[in-house]
Amino acid sequence: MVTFLLEVGTEELPASFVADALNQWRSRIPASLAESFLSSESIQFYGTPRRLAVLIAGLPTQQPDREEEVKGPSAQAAFKDGKPTKAAEGFARSRGIAVADLAVRSTDKGDFVFVRQQIAGRPTAEILTELVPQWIFGLEGKRFMRWGDGDLRFPRPIRWLVSLLDEAVLPIRLVNGSESCTSDRISQGHRVLHPDPVLIPSAAQYVECLRQAFVEVDPAQREAQIVAQAEKAARSVKGVATINPGLLAEVRDLVEYPTAVVGQFDPEFLELPPEVITTEMESHQRYFPIRKAADRPTLLPYFITIANGDPAKTDLIAAGNQRVIRARLSDGKYFFDLDRKQSLEDYLPRLETVTFQADLGSVRAKVDRMGEIAQMIGSQLQVNAATQSAIDRATLLCKADLVTQMVGEFPELQGVMGEKYARSSGESEAVATAIFEHYLPRGAHDQLPLTLGGQVVGIADRLDTLIGIFSIGMVPSGSSDPFALRRAATAIVNITWAANLELNLEQLLHQAVSAFLAGSTPPKTDAASLLQQLQEFFLQRVRTLLQEDRSIDYDLVNAVLGESDPDYTARALQNLLDVRDRAEFLQSIRQNGQLTAIYETVNRASRLAAQGTLDKTTLEPTGLIDPRQFQQPSEQAFYEALIQLVPETQAAQAERNYQRLVDALANIAPVVSQFFDGSTSVLVMDENLDIRQNRLNLLGLLRNQARVLADFGAIVKGE
Amino acid sequence: MNFQSVIATLHQFWSDRGCLIVQPYDTEKGAGTKSPHTFLRALGPEPWSVAYVEPCRRPADGRYGENPNRVQHYYQYQVLIKPSPENILDIYLDSLKALGIKPEDHDIRFVEDNWEDAAVGAWGVGWEVWLDGMEITQFTYFQQCGGIDCRPVSIEITYGLERLTMYLQEVNSIFDIRWNDRLTYGDVHLQGEIEGSKYNFEASDPDLLFTLFKLFEQDAERLMKASLVLPAFDQVLKCSHTFNLLDARGVISVTERARYIGRIRSLARQVAQLYVKQREELGFPLLKESQAQAA
Repeated sequence: MVTFLLEVGTEELPASFVADALNQWRSRIPASLAESFLSSESIQFYGTPRRLAVLIAGLPTQQPDREEEVKGPSAQAAFKDGKPTKAAEGFARSRGIAVADLAVRSTDKGDFVFVRQQIAGRPTAEILTELVPQWIFGLEGKRFMRWGDGDLRFPRPIRWLVSLLDEAVLPIRLVNGSESCTSDRISQGHRVLHPDPVLIPSAAQYVECLRQAFVEVDPAQREAQIVAQAEKAARSVKGVATINPGLLAEVRDLVEYPTAVVGQFDPEFLELPPEVITTEMESHQRYFPIRKAADRPTLLPYFITIANGDPAKTDLIAAGNQRVIRARLSDGKYFFDLDRKQSLEDYLPRLETVTFQADLGSVRAKVDRMGEIAQMIGSQLQVNAATQSAIDRATLLCKADLVTQMVGEFPELQGVMGEKYARSSGESEAVATAIFEHYLPRGAHDQLPLTLGGQVVGIADRLDTLIGIFSIGMVPSGSSDPFALRRAATAIVNITWAANLELNLEQLLHQAVSAFLAGSTPPKTDAASLLQQLQEFFLQRVRTLLQEDRSIDYDLVNAVLGESDPDYTARALQNLLDVRDRAEFLQSIRQNGQLTAIYETVNRASRLAAQGTLDKTTLEPTGLIDPRQFQQPSEQAFYEALIQLVPETQAAQAERNYQRLVDALANIAPVVSQFFDGSTSVLVMDENLDIRQNRLNLLGLLRNQARVLADFGAIVKGE
Repeated sequence: MNFQSVIATLHQFWSDRGCLIVQPYDTEKGAGTKSPHTFLRALGPEPWSVAYVEPCRRPADGRYGENPNRVQHYYQYQVLIKPSPENILDIYLDSLKALGIKPEDHDIRFVEDNWEDAAVGAWGVGWEVWLDGMEITQFTYFQQCGGIDCRPVSIEITYGLERLTMYLQEVNSIFDIRWNDRLTYGDVHLQGEIEGSKYNFEASDPDLLFTLFKLFEQDAERLMKASLVLPAFDQVLKCSHTFNLLDARGVISVTERARYIGRIRSLARQVAQLYVKQREELGFPLLKESQAQAA
C-alpha cells in the first residue's frame, strides 16, 4: 500500500474556485481511480488560495491483474464454412492472440466472436502519471486564463507541483510555452510568513509540513478556526459576531493562516443605518460585524477582519483596517447627510432621467403606470380611502431612492434607504414600510411583504414590468430572462397566496393592459395577444409553483388548471386562492382515500355526459330536466339528489370549503349506482332521443357539479 | 515619504528590473491601461516592459473636492511586462519593501478582481491587492485587447498612487497628501477638482460634446483608412473621454450607452488590428531586438 500526494501550487486563486475545484475533484477523482481499477482506503482534499491538493491513502502499488472479454466481429463475418475469414484473423492479430483462441458466444444481437484475455495490472505510478494532468485540466470554471507565452488554461498561473508516492517523487511535467513546471517535493509556505521553500519528505507528512510553514491546508480546519476566533474576538468586546455563511466561505478561501483581528470605529458612525454599515463591512471589506446581541440588529462600533498575516502584528493590521473603514463610513455618512438635505419627494423629478427601458421610458413614467395599477388593485380589494392614499403615496415614492447618492453607491440598499429617507421626510409608517417591502421577495428564500401597502405596491411594480416588457416582445425564452420576468410573476402569485389577497388577476390584467396601451408608448402588439401571452405566462407560473413548491401531483394540477380548458384557466386567474385551495384539497383527499370513493362515479358520469349536449357550467336541474320523461324511480332519485346537491356545491365554492362538495358527492354515489346498475337501472342511450338527452343531462349536471372542484377526466387514477 | 518620492522610488525600482521608464501620454484617458504604452503594446508577440505615471480622468467621480477619497482626476502608476514573468508577485512585494512597507508586518491579500473594459474590447483576470484591508494595487493578466487575444500574455500592475501615499503618510484626505516637503496635493489639485466637477456635471455643453464625439469618430475612421494607426488611436481616446463626459452629464440613457460603447469598441478593435498588422509589416522589430540580446 502506498500514499499519493498531489499539490498544484498556483498564484492566488479566486476564493470561489477553491471550494468549487475541490468539489469537482471529490466526485471525479474516486471515479477516475475506479475506472483505472485502483482502490484506495481514504481520499482527502485540501485547498488554500495558493494550492489545490489531494492525498490518497491505501493505494495498491499496482492494478490487480484482471481478465477482460473483448467482443469481435459477428460469427457470421468471422467464419465462412467453419474457416476463419480475414475479419477473424485481423481481430485476433489486433488482440495479439491466435485465431484458435477465439470463442463464439451468442448474445441478444446474434452470435459474436469473443476473446478472453488476462491483463496484467500496470504499476500505480505509471497510471497516476497519466491521470494527474486529466485531474488538473479537467477542472471547470468561469474565466480561465492563459499566462506567459503558453496555452495552458487555469484560473490563475500554476507555479509548482508536488507529486509524491510515499517518499518518492512521481515525475509530472507541465509545459506552458517556454516555461515548464516539473513536479518535486518542494512546496511553498505562507507567502510572507514563510518565504523559504517547504520540503515534504513523504506524502503522509503533507498537512503537518505545511502547518509548520504557516499554511493550514484543510479548509474545514480553517473555517473552524475562523469561527472560533471570531466568536472569541466578539466576546472580547462584549458582543456577538455576525457570521454570514457565504462570507465565511469566501474569507476561509482568502487566507492560508487565519487570525481574527478586532478593529473599532468611531461610535458616531452608528447614526448610520445598520444596513449601510453592514454592507460596507461585509460586501466591501469582508469583515464580520459585531452586534450587541444575536437577536437584535444593534451594532457595536467594532468589526472583525480575518487576516492572513502574523498574529503578533495584529495591532498594526487593526490600525490599517480602522483607517479604511473610517474612510468608507465617512463616505457613507457624507452620502447619508447629503441625501437627507432633500425630502424623498424632491428626488422625483430626477427619476425622469433614469431609463427603465429604452422603449418604455423613464422610471418616473413607470411609477405613474404603477400608480394606476395600485388603484385597480385597491378597488378590487375594497381598501378604505386612508389605506388607498397610503398605497398611492408609497407607489409614488418607492423608486425615489434610486437617484440618491447612497443607492448610487450601494445599489443593494434600494428600498432600505427609501424606507429610511421616507421616515426622515416625515412620511407615515405605512408608506415607509411599503417602500421597503415592495422589493420583497428579493430572492428565492427571501421574506414576503407583511403589510398590505408592501404587497400592493410590489404587485403593481412587477405587473407593470411584465406588461411593459411583454409589450415590446422581450418574452423570456429558455434560460434567457434578462428582466427576471419569471421571478416577477412567481412573486405576484406567492404574495397573493401568502397574504390571501382576494385578487382577480384576470380582470386586473385586462384593466392594466388596457391602461398601458392607452398610454403614450406605441405598442408593438395588440391587446388580445398581449393578454393571452401574459395569462399563459402566469398560468405556467401557477402550475410550476403548485407542482414544485407545493408538491401537488401533476395530474391534480392539470385537473384544477385545465390543460387548455378556458373555463378553468380563466377561473384560476380570477381566483388564485381558489385554485391553490382546490389543488391542495385534491392532494389531501388523494392521500386520505376520499378521492377514490367518488372518482369512479364522477368519471363514469362524465364520460357518458360527453355524448350529450349540455354545457359544462349549468348546475341547476330545475327547468332543464323533464321529470315526465322518467321511466324508472332511479331517475327520479338522481334528479332529487342533484337538486339537493346544488346549494352544497355553491356553498363549497363560495366558502372555498371543498370538503362539503366531496361529502355531498360521496352521498350521491349510491343513487348514481342505482341509476347505472341497480334494480331500477336505466339504459342511458335510449332509442328515444328525448329520454336519452334527459338522462345525459342528469349525468352532465353531476359532471358539472364535480367540475366546480376539478376536471376529474384529467386525474390519472382515483387512488 | 512624500508623493514625488513614491513616484521616484517606483521609477527606480522598476527601472532596476529592466523596465523602460516612459512619460505620461498627452491625451485624456480614464486609466493607464488606455495609454498606447499599454493598450497597443500589449498586442502582438513583441516583448515589452514599461513603467510610467498616467494621469487619469473619471468625470463621473468628481465630488467638487468635498470627498476625501474621490476625485475626477488622479494618477496611476502603471507597469506592463510581456510575457508575464514567473515570479511577478514576489517582485511586486519587493516593490512594497522599496516603499518602506514590510510585507511580514501586514495583512497582504490578493483578492480576485477581474477587469473588463467593454469600450475597448479588453479583458483580463487578476486581483486587487489588499494591504490591511486597503486596496492599493490592481493586477491584471491581459487576455484580450481590442478584441484580439493577447499572445503572449502581459501582466499589468497598477498602483493607486494616492491611496498608497495616504497609507504611507497616514493622512485621511487625498488633499492632505504631502506632495513634497512644502506643498500638498490639495495645493496642486483642489481648485482643479472643484472646477472640474463643475464642468463635468454642470458647465459642459452636451450638444458640443455630441458633435465632438461624431467628429472624432469620423476622423478615426478616416485616419485608419490612411493607415495612420497612432493618430487614429488618439481619436479613439478622444471619443472615449467625450463619452465619459456625456455620461457624467447624465445625458446618455441606458440603451444609448450600450450603443456608444459599441461604437468605441468597434473603433478600438479596428485600430488594434491595424496596429498588429503594422508591427508585422515592420517585422516585429522588438522581437528581433530581444532575440539579438539573447544571442
